[in-house]
Amino acid sequence: MNLQYSGHEEIPAGREVVWAFINEPRNVAGCMPDVLESTVVDAHTFDAVVQVAVGPVRGKFKFHVVLDPQSGGDRMNMKISGGGLGSVVDLTAGSDIAAAPGGGTTLDWKATATMRGPVAAIGGRVIDAQAKRIITTTFENVKTRLTASPPPVAAG
Amino acid sequence: MKISVTVNGTLYEREVEPRTLLVYFLREALGLTGTHVGCDTSSCGVCVVVLDGDRAVKSCTMFAAMADGHDITTVEGLVQGGKLHPLQQAFWDCHGLQCGYCTPGMLMTSYALLKHQPNPDEPAIREALAGNLCRCTGYQNIVKAVQQAAAETNAPAPEPVAT
Amino acid sequence: MSTTAEPTPDKYSLGQSMKRKEDPRFIRGAGNFLDDIVLPGMLWLSIVHSPYPHARLVKIDKTAALAVPGVVAVLTGEDLAAHNLAWIPTFHGYDKQMILAVGKVLFQYQEVAGVIATSREIAQDAAELVDVEYEPLDPVVNPFQSREDKIILRDDRENKTNHIYHWEVGKRDATDAAIAASDVSIKERVVFQRCHPAPLEPCGIVADMDAATGRLTLYLTSQAPHAHRTVVSLVTGIPEDKIHVISPDLGGGFGNKVPVYPGYVVAAAASVVIGVPVKWIETRTENLTTTGFARDYHMDVEIGATKDGKVTALKVTTVADHGAFDAAADPTKYPAGLFGIVTGSYDFANAFTELDAYFTNKAPGGVAYRCSFRVTEASFAIERGMEILARKLNMDPAELRLKNFVKKEQFPYPSPLGFVYDSGDYHLTLRKALDMIGYDELRKEQAEKRKRGELMGIGISTFTEAVGAGPSKHFDIMGIKMFDSAEIRVHPTGSAILRAGTKSQGQGHETTWAQIAADELGLDPQNIMVEEGDTDTAPYGLGTYASRSTPVAGGAIAMAARKIREKARKIAAHLLEASVDDIEWENHAFHAKGLPGKAITMQEIAFAAYTNPAPDSEPGLEATFYYDPPNLTFPYGAYIAVVDVDPETGFVKVRRFLAIDDCGTVINPMIVEGQIHGGLTEGFAIAFMQEIAFDESGNNLNTNFTEYLVPTSLETPHWETSSTCTPSPHHPIGAKGVGESPNVGSPAAFVNAVMDALAPLGVTHIDMPLTREKVWRACREASTA
Repeated sequence: MNLQYSGHEEIPAGREVVWAFINEPRNVAGCMPDVLESTVVDAHTFDAVVQVAVGPVRGKFKFHVVLDPQSGGDRMNMKISGGGLGSVVDLTAGSDIAAAPGGGTTLDWKATATMRGPVAAIGGRVIDAQAKRIITTTFENVKTRLTASPPPVAAG
Repeated sequence: MKISVTVNGTLYEREVEPRTLLVYFLREALGLTGTHVGCDTSSCGVCVVVLDGDRAVKSCTMFAAMADGHDITTVEGLVQGGKLHPLQQAFWDCHGLQCGYCTPGMLMTSYALLKHQPNPDEPAIREALAGNLCRCTGYQNIVKAVQQAAAETNAPAPEPVAT
Repeated sequence: MSTTAEPTPDKYSLGQSMKRKEDPRFIRGAGNFLDDIVLPGMLWLSIVHSPYPHARLVKIDKTAALAVPGVVAVLTGEDLAAHNLAWIPTFHGYDKQMILAVGKVLFQYQEVAGVIATSREIAQDAAELVDVEYEPLDPVVNPFQSREDKIILRDDRENKTNHIYHWEVGKRDATDAAIAASDVSIKERVVFQRCHPAPLEPCGIVADMDAATGRLTLYLTSQAPHAHRTVVSLVTGIPEDKIHVISPDLGGGFGNKVPVYPGYVVAAAASVVIGVPVKWIETRTENLTTTGFARDYHMDVEIGATKDGKVTALKVTTVADHGAFDAAADPTKYPAGLFGIVTGSYDFANAFTELDAYFTNKAPGGVAYRCSFRVTEASFAIERGMEILARKLNMDPAELRLKNFVKKEQFPYPSPLGFVYDSGDYHLTLRKALDMIGYDELRKEQAEKRKRGELMGIGISTFTEAVGAGPSKHFDIMGIKMFDSAEIRVHPTGSAILRAGTKSQGQGHETTWAQIAADELGLDPQNIMVEEGDTDTAPYGLGTYASRSTPVAGGAIAMAARKIREKARKIAAHLLEASVDDIEWENHAFHAKGLPGKAITMQEIAFAAYTNPAPDSEPGLEATFYYDPPNLTFPYGAYIAVVDVDPETGFVKVRRFLAIDDCGTVINPMIVEGQIHGGLTEGFAIAFMQEIAFDESGNNLNTNFTEYLVPTSLETPHWETSSTCTPSPHHPIGAKGVGESPNVGSPAAFVNAVMDALAPLGVTHIDMPLTREKVWRACREASTA
């Protein structure tokens, strides 16, 4: 089962600030919803344990997340793979990062999720909404985090 | 944790794990294997028992701990004084069972139904049994059996309607 | 000794609706099903399944699972390979299947590892901790993709192709020519979807290796306990006398409990190695995803006819999806089962059918789900084909059938695809059905409704089955001939024990077997105890599936009883002081010619057999008979469904359903009616709601009862039943078997009825299951076209 999502966020922070933020695994892990624990493996990789509740599939999923920043600083790719309870979820996401007029930054993102196992059998009606929520919330949280508190790395 | 449950008139005090399902408590702790397991999703109803005299519950959907202080009737509790319950007799008379795996659940759901509706018509019976699957009979003879049991129960001394 | 004749009361004879002898334990909750068996020191097996439909197995890390307190062992395919048990031969021996994955996984939910622990819960918890690393491969999700051979699934096989076999029967050229030359012809692809028998009791095993005796006892959900004992012996090398298979009460089977499953093998291997009993009980998800799927035939049906509606030729070309291993449950010489019955009840001058089977990344199986080896698929194909032809000819579908039926006087009828039908009167049975349902009135009502734009449909199915495999010259499984057996031992006081090689799963053998023997022997069926399913005591038989119990074991029971009667005749002669030639069997007792009023009952003979045996015969009164049937039997029926379709919602209301069955001699009408109710309900489920479907990534989408629907009492229609009776001329009591007829015959009746309702919209065919969504879409597309 393949599911595709896309979205657009406008962040009131400069492009470099956003770029620096999403290059830090600890920040990205903090933006994923329902994370119970996360472990940073290296500069671009972290592992996360996520609480999942999709119909009868309830429990902890383990995810391995690899950030793949593209040279030029205008695109970030991300590969999330993992699963649990006999299910496998593979997610590839990519976002174009562009400066917006007025000093802000836009994220135009697309994601493809592939489900296998019991989680796929539950069918689009439940999974679709759940996967969309996880992905959308992650990008929304990037915006929230960068809006709510001053960025840890000062712009320019 | 410790629970006390009355099952078929006998009080049992037992230590259980919090996650133990009522159906496994009945089957494995008490050895009452008439209550069966047939699915993982509370769909099939072969595990139905009666809670507090008149409520049909799926015992795979209840923790044993939730039965603490309650009264459970299982299929083993239907025979009274060595005599078959009218529902048991009717299932036999009407060929309301084939492999017999769904039968205990069917009997207990029907038992609870008759407590509330002593004289149900066919649509009411079919509605009451909609949470109990049967792969063998096609339900027709089960419905007939419940009707026979209702008639039998009502004929000599009608029970008061308990709603 | 002799008394006045007191024939067994009629209520004990064949053909009476005797109440079932097995029921008292079931209505008390005192049945003994597999999961009820608990042995001291027993361990539990839980299986780890692959989430991928196709992947290379990189690494299995047992560490975390083994660290859980209570975990005794974690077994993988490599561990089994050390005992030569990673693979076992499939049902007919043409292929092999993995027990636990080695190298690759080939279908989603395939068994990858087994965790043995001290409780069910610990085993399940630890199974989640087995860390398996996979390298995903592209999956093959349907047989049409498979046949392109772009991805080769089975690199363990010599032939690097996904094509498993080609099978054909009939005259190809003559059939093609006849269709080409016909006035009218039809061609339609009809798919019989992958579905699952899903008995309410899942499969399971308790394997108990007794180190002291060296005997391995297998409590097994088995429809064929003897065959399973032989397979276990052949696969493991354990001598067959050291294997004891006990099949306890079965909570339904429907074909699901015929094959050997990996869970059985892993539990048995674990018990042998660890030396304590090991239990494995399937979850419902395991049941639906790994064991015993049925059907999955894609059939192109072509029929040629004259313009006045006489059929001239039939051609059916099938593509079969067999999943990851060729484990289809069919007799060895019949890879496509009895699909040759596809000419059905009609007299075709020319017929040809061919089939190609392919591997896909789906569970293996191909069991005969309430079906005699692919007869259901064949019946669906021909009955849909006849319906489509009737519409093309603008002819009433009942009239088309009556015009083309094999006639009563043509029996025994040699079919163009190689069967010899034993008996039947198809015209009589259909006419009875048309009369009972008020066919002409219904057609008038339909015409009125069509004028008002309402969608009402009438669907007919007049199927013929080939069941009761079978004659040993044609039918075997891994070389073992498909006879069956019975042993009857009459006790001194006139009660008896009857053992058979079959195994009831709800069919009521404890009652009907006793009725056959009682009728042959003049004994009280209440006092004939029937025992099946224990390989230490029962005579060797091939088991219960494919509607073979009554045609084969039923024959064995009657023949064993007749052997006893022949011996009893000598004892009667001895007691009556008459010549054996003068002893006659009448009204369930022996009489001497010329001695009217004097009779000896079997009960008296039984006592004499032990207390006063005839001088020239051995004491005791028992017999065993291995019955090799001379032919298959051919039960048939005429089914009519009446439906109303709501185009706004796609809801199909089955307003009436009438089933007239002809299964020859009826042993117990109550039980026969019960079998028909149940089979019609399963046919209804297949027609309207059941499918094991896969998405484009190879995900199984119907893994539990919230997605694989079993009809409840609310949806299930009210069934009307009746019968005609043309006994089988070759069967000892004329019986043909009935358990599968309603499941074989009904899907086409339902689909024909819905298509008849949708005819004004120009809809010719929709593949099952006819879900509301599919029907609604068809109505919507037709109205917007």
